[in-house]
Amino acid sequence: MKMRLFALITLLAAALSALADEAPIGYVKTLTGSATITTGSNKVAAQLGTPLFQGSQLKTGPKSSLGVTFKDDTVMSFGADTVLTVDEYLYAPSQGKLKLGSSLAKGSMNYVSGVIAKLQPDAVSVKTPTGTIGVRGTQFVVKVDDTAP
Amino acid sequence: MSGPAWRTWLAPFLLIGALAGCAAPPPSSPQPVPKLSYVALLPSPDGSVGVVEVQGTRGTQRLTRAHDAALLDGSQAPAPVDAARFKRDFADAIAARPELPLHFMLYFETGGTQLTPESMELLPRIVDRAAHRRTVDLSVIGHSDTVGKTDLNDNLSLRRAQTVAEIIKGMGLKVDALVVESHGKRNLLVPTPDGTPEPRNRRVEVTIR
Repeated sequence: MKMRLFALITLLAAALSALADEAPIGYVKTLTGSATITTGSNKVAAQLGTPLFQGSQLKTGPKSSLGVTFKDDTVMSFGADTVLTVDEYLYAPSQGKLKLGSSLAKGSMNYVSGVIAKLQPDAVSVKTPTGTIGVRGTQFVVKVDDTAP
Repeated sequence: MSGPAWRTWLAPFLLIGALAGCAAPPPSSPQPVPKLSYVALLPSPDGSVGVVEVQGTRGTQRLTRAHDAALLDGSQAPAPVDAARFKRDFADAIAARPELPLHFMLYFETGGTQLTPESMELLPRIVDRAAHRRTVDLSVIGHSDTVGKTDLNDNLSLRRAQTVAEIIKGMGLKVDALVVESHGKRNLLVPTPDGTPEPRNRRVEVTIR
């Protein structure tokens, strides 16, 4: 009986966390040329309104650009040949759960920080191959040239 | 731009390029632009300037002045970004920036889902602003003041948010995504002790993204 209850709770917890992971964390707002959004094994061509999820990888093609807006009002936009992954996204201000961790492997990005950076600046970071950027409520641009130091 | 001014403006980053180990070109060939991985601080859309810190493999740098830049490996002190390089590297990313989110506050009479007359008048303006966007995702979050129990307030602020969402949809706005949430008395605009009637806390926050 106890085991069965435990199994049920585990199942419920897994279902709940899967549900939480499935809620969109942002949407595609601008697009020129072509871009893809890959979440797990699901790869889609980006269109206006395409949802983003925790773990999504955003990729722009040559001569392309992409703009996205997140639930916490963080706004990111990317130039051509860019790869950005949203590693971690938590936005539950009333529970104090806040996190926005992303990685820019290559390309260019304009970043306008949102509510997460305002409420908990140390919860926001952008990893790049040579350094990690921390943000205190602002706008910045970052370029990763994967052939440069 | 004329030669000398252009050179002065470019100097900090050329210096960085040289120090970062870029090979010097043969004297006869045209000067190639060194490739760089760097971050540059910009003013926020509201005009304020925040702080960016980069922790790199070769050091840590802190940017506090608008248009200063630093290499991502942290090896060089911040220096003003070269205008021509900035434009070449970021013109497309900056042009792709989505319209910034817009926020509206709607207020309620105490104890129920009746909007104040001023907030009723605001609704058409919200719909009008949203209708001008190419895609609209809308979040409608209900809040209460601290009068009454938590679950009652959660329920009330959810009904407030639902009321607003229904009115907005009823006005014919096409919405791509809609999130309706209730924060009850857990997310006060004006902090008060429990049991305090506070009109500014009886609100629904509408965000157009």
